[in-house]
Amino acid sequence: MTAANIAEVAPSLPLRLQMRRPRPILALILLMWIPLTAYVMFGSNMPETTRNVILLPAIPATLALYYIAVTSWRESPIAVIGATLVFFWLLVAVTAPYLPLIDPNKPIKPFAPIGAYANNHLFLLGADFKGRDMLSRDLWGCQRVLVWGVSATLVAYAIGAFFGLLAGYLGGWWDQAISLICNIFLSFPVMVLFILILNYLGPSGFNIVIAVTFASAPAIMRIVRGLTLDTKSRDYIFAAQTRGEHPLRVMIYELLPNARGPIIVDACLRLGYTTVAITTLTFLGLGLQPPDPDWGLMIKESTKVAMVVSFSYMLIIPALSVSSLILGFNLLADGLREMSLRD
Amino acid sequence: MLKLIGSRLLQMVFIMGVVSLILFAIFDSDKFKKQIAVAELGGFAVSALSDKDYQAWLDKKGLNTPFYVRYANWVGAVLHGDLGKSFEKNEPVSGLIAERLERTGVLAFWVFALMIPLSLTFGVVAGMKEGSAQDRVTSFISVFTTSLPEIATAIFLTVIFALTLKWLPANAAMVNGWDWRALVLPVLTLVLYDFGYVARMTRASMAEVMSSQYIRTAVLKGLPYRRVILRHALRNALIAPFTIIVLQLNWLLSGVVVVEVFFQYAGFGKLLLDAALFGDVYVIQAATLVAVFVAVLSQIISDVGYTFLNPRIRFA
Amino acid sequence: MSQKLPPVFQHPVIQNAFDHLEAGRLDRREFIRIAALLGASAASAYALVGLPSPAYAEGSLPFPPDDSKAKAGGVFKIAMQVQKLEDPATFSWTQSSNQVRHTLEYVSMTGPDNVTRPMLAESWSASPDLKTWTFNIRKGVMWHNGEELTADHVAWNLKRWADPATASSNIGLSIITGMLHDTGKKDDKGAPIMGLSDGAIEVADKYTLRLHMNKAVLSAPEDLYNYPTAILHPSFKAPISEKIIGTGPFTLAEFKVGDKCILKRVSKTTDGQDFKYWGGKVYLDEIAYYNFDSDNQLPAFASGDVDGVYDFNVEQVDLAKSLPGVIHKARTAQCICCRMQVDQKPFSDKRVRQAIAMTVDNSTIKGLIYTDGGDVGEDHHVAPVHPDYFALPAMKRDVEGAKKLLKEAGFEKGLEVTIDVGNTDGPWHQTACEAMRDQLKEAGVNLRVNVMPAAKYWEIWDKTAFGCTAWTHRPLGTMVMSLGYRTGVPWNESHYANPEFDKALDAAEATLDVEERKKKLAAAEKILQDDAVMVLPLFRPIYTIVAQKVNGYEGHPTQYHQFNKVWMA
Repeated sequence: MTAANIAEVAPSLPLRLQMRRPRPILALILLMWIPLTAYVMFGSNMPETTRNVILLPAIPATLALYYIAVTSWRESPIAVIGATLVFFWLLVAVTAPYLPLIDPNKPIKPFAPIGAYANNHLFLLGADFKGRDMLSRDLWGCQRVLVWGVSATLVAYAIGAFFGLLAGYLGGWWDQAISLICNIFLSFPVMVLFILILNYLGPSGFNIVIAVTFASAPAIMRIVRGLTLDTKSRDYIFAAQTRGEHPLRVMIYELLPNARGPIIVDACLRLGYTTVAITTLTFLGLGLQPPDPDWGLMIKESTKVAMVVSFSYMLIIPALSVSSLILGFNLLADGLREMSLRD
Repeated sequence: MLKLIGSRLLQMVFIMGVVSLILFAIFDSDKFKKQIAVAELGGFAVSALSDKDYQAWLDKKGLNTPFYVRYANWVGAVLHGDLGKSFEKNEPVSGLIAERLERTGVLAFWVFALMIPLSLTFGVVAGMKEGSAQDRVTSFISVFTTSLPEIATAIFLTVIFALTLKWLPANAAMVNGWDWRALVLPVLTLVLYDFGYVARMTRASMAEVMSSQYIRTAVLKGLPYRRVILRHALRNALIAPFTIIVLQLNWLLSGVVVVEVFFQYAGFGKLLLDAALFGDVYVIQAATLVAVFVAVLSQIISDVGYTFLNPRIRFA
Repeated sequence: MSQKLPPVFQHPVIQNAFDHLEAGRLDRREFIRIAALLGASAASAYALVGLPSPAYAEGSLPFPPDDSKAKAGGVFKIAMQVQKLEDPATFSWTQSSNQVRHTLEYVSMTGPDNVTRPMLAESWSASPDLKTWTFNIRKGVMWHNGEELTADHVAWNLKRWADPATASSNIGLSIITGMLHDTGKKDDKGAPIMGLSDGAIEVADKYTLRLHMNKAVLSAPEDLYNYPTAILHPSFKAPISEKIIGTGPFTLAEFKVGDKCILKRVSKTTDGQDFKYWGGKVYLDEIAYYNFDSDNQLPAFASGDVDGVYDFNVEQVDLAKSLPGVIHKARTAQCICCRMQVDQKPFSDKRVRQAIAMTVDNSTIKGLIYTDGGDVGEDHHVAPVHPDYFALPAMKRDVEGAKKLLKEAGFEKGLEVTIDVGNTDGPWHQTACEAMRDQLKEAGVNLRVNVMPAAKYWEIWDKTAFGCTAWTHRPLGTMVMSLGYRTGVPWNESHYANPEFDKALDAAEATLDVEERKKKLAAAEKILQDDAVMVLPLFRPIYTIVAQKVNGYEGHPTQYHQFNKVWMA
């Protein structure tokens, strides 16, 4: 191959390779995530114009991430299927305001069956008991689950990983104290902990984040602690220590990246659990509050009115949606684990 | 070993003590007291009561005593087997808890009775030959069922078996007396959610054993495959699933809440949720203690059992 | 001149009402109601005005007649919240009263036709000025302990309700307030302590009770069927669920809060005699209430667990229609009242309240929620179904006017307010508030709808500055106004205090002439509407459903269960 040829091929190759490096990927994730989170958490307080455009940059970011995910995981079909499911909902979440959907809170024709045309509106997936379009509610519904679910998992991870590193790296007295506190929380069945915390704090998205953190962080701490103990004795850590680096620096720059693999798999699984938890808590009346659409809420509201076959679509549609998202997370975790074992 | 069990139990008692103190402190707030008063006397009566009469009512109910004093009294009573009285249901908590636990116990029994053989069979069959068709099918089924949250499974089963086919009742409130048919859907819901997880763990354990040196040797020695599996592989492969299954007790206490609420089954989970929403502090206390006790006990059994069964592990 | 009425209609108010009827100024049903309230028999009143009387038993029994096809025996299972039973005089919910309604009985009984008939009293009469009421207690009514009911027993109950220490909401009923006087003392909240006037309750003989009021009270018999007015035996000690002595055909056999309440027939008295029920035949063996919260009652019916439900929500109408069963619908004065506390900012400024009331279009909200039945509210809490309702000119939406008022009040840049909603009666509360939010936006008012669980709402219902409270049906407009808007009364959740309004209300209550009464009440309605204390978007119909095998069931506008003549096929 001549030098000229290399130059021709080069621009396309490095671009893709560059994209796979952590930094651009992180940038893309932030580009997708920050607008979406802002939209869901603070959208009602935003000026109309900001709200209308804020999600625009997230759309190409989501598409690019999906492309990267598929190309880099193409060896595992399971991971690709999982990623496709997850990214489908992510894409719906960021494009929801721009899709030709009717206002999900607008009552039009109660109990309009699937495919009905009533009051100048075609109900592709029927209408709920208040006459709101099910398709619109179902698609909008993914936003809150995704944002609160991922935020809760993230916060739980940040806190769990921090204490795990601390306990594992420093050992001794630190380890004992942190482990004891974690044991206290691990002594609760998760739902009991959720109910106690949310009943005390009151139902809301932010409080779910707190509750999930209390419930998940101890388990995360244990995993990270174990990984830390495992890697601590490696040479490069010892080298860093002898270089006299600050323990915190060693932990974050040396330990954490090397424990990355299992953590990512666990995080995917945990995202699934958190999605289940949020849906369940909302169903129990302890989670997200009406009126904005949310799958758990759609189920909660429909159980009272849809207990006959002809109305059961009101229950089945949100149940299928939430299941598909969780399936996505689980398949992704499975595929990633499979790949990490192969390496 | 005994020392380990002892220290774990001690830890449990410590945890229970701390948790119940925190709960007492939380439910000591004016908000929760008012909530109980409104539920008991009605919104009208409470707003019509003068402050003096309200305080007198609190005194009568024992709610004006500082929470640490109440806590101390409560601990004393609990040691004598008295768990206090429910504000909402006006009856002793111990009877209430016992009755609800029994109902949840029946539910749990059937869940385990179905889930254990099912998941072990699936897991062992899949793990016998890694990568085979049976392995892939099992993996797919278990990932799929585990991905359906209980609430979704409950909906699908209800729509199919209760609403469409009308084979089974749609709820398990059982107002017309005990009805086994009503128990089917709650049990199935829990089994479907949990079985996949245990099956996968069993599969992993089995696969590991099958690839181990001694099994390979046994096969190479020409022992019959059946015998290798039944005599040698299974014994070791079931150690890990055993600990996992015991830990499912802990999970079940979470899972029953949503299933009991959805199917209107009057068990422990529904009691806990109702009590929390009502602010029925003595019921919450008792239910939490039971939950913690079961959770820790399952952890201890799982650890101890693992040590017993696995000769390679010895605790210092 | 006016036709001379037969002697049973001798009361001047009846004569007066009849004159109005003749002149076409009074509805025939309203005449029947008034005649019955003043002691005439309902059947004769129906006959007089030429309306077919609903089937009622012969003699003075307040129940429908016996059904020759009726089968005795059977259990009637109903899904309803099973609530704690402490003191019937302080019941806050219709449900708890239903649990004991077939055990503890009332002096009077208002039927599904809104006509009040004598129950534990055999008859009653009122003096021409409506200030003295005589109740003739029915002879031979047996308590479950074998004693006979006497006027003393009823008097004991009335005295108990009038005692503030009982904390009974009955103290707000006209029949009780008419017997109270200011003791001159104040309680720790600074409100005057009212005491029972000497000699107000007179036990003339064993079976005669006479009440002496200091004002004219027309509604006395109706007041005595308010749900906390069940007649208790003087040996009563709370909680009633531990030991219940009543006069009814059923008694508590099994009771567990939040689970079930099983009523079985009484056959023996506690002192070993055969119990004889005064009210004729009763068919059911057992009435069984099973606890389902309001949303789950219809699903329980759908799955065949129960034969009837306490009620179901408008969202569930389509589900109910798809089920085999008989749906009962009743027009009521049940409503939500989005009331603003007049002593809390920004609602202390009348212009703000008026702007909010002007911007909201009640008829749109009603149409959105109840396409089937229901009445549009007019922000004064008197419902078209009330016999003393006066139709004021229809309210008109005026967004521009509202904006102007807001500007004057200093909110030209917009106003942020929050309304608390507990959905205590179903999710439609929230739908109504959300519709309000959308309408208010046009006037620059940003309404935040703060949804909370029902139990939490009842903690703050009388405290929040802006809240959406459910009010149950009451038979009279004056009754609702007295309970909720008179200065200083306990249920005055808006803290409204307007002497002018109180005067107008007193005037309406004291007026004997029916048509005059409506006009006087119109004045009170107008004052309340103009002061914009609330947005009251609608009065809801109530729905219930029973299985086809349930016979003799009639829906009651106040959801009171009256099952004496119900039988199961």
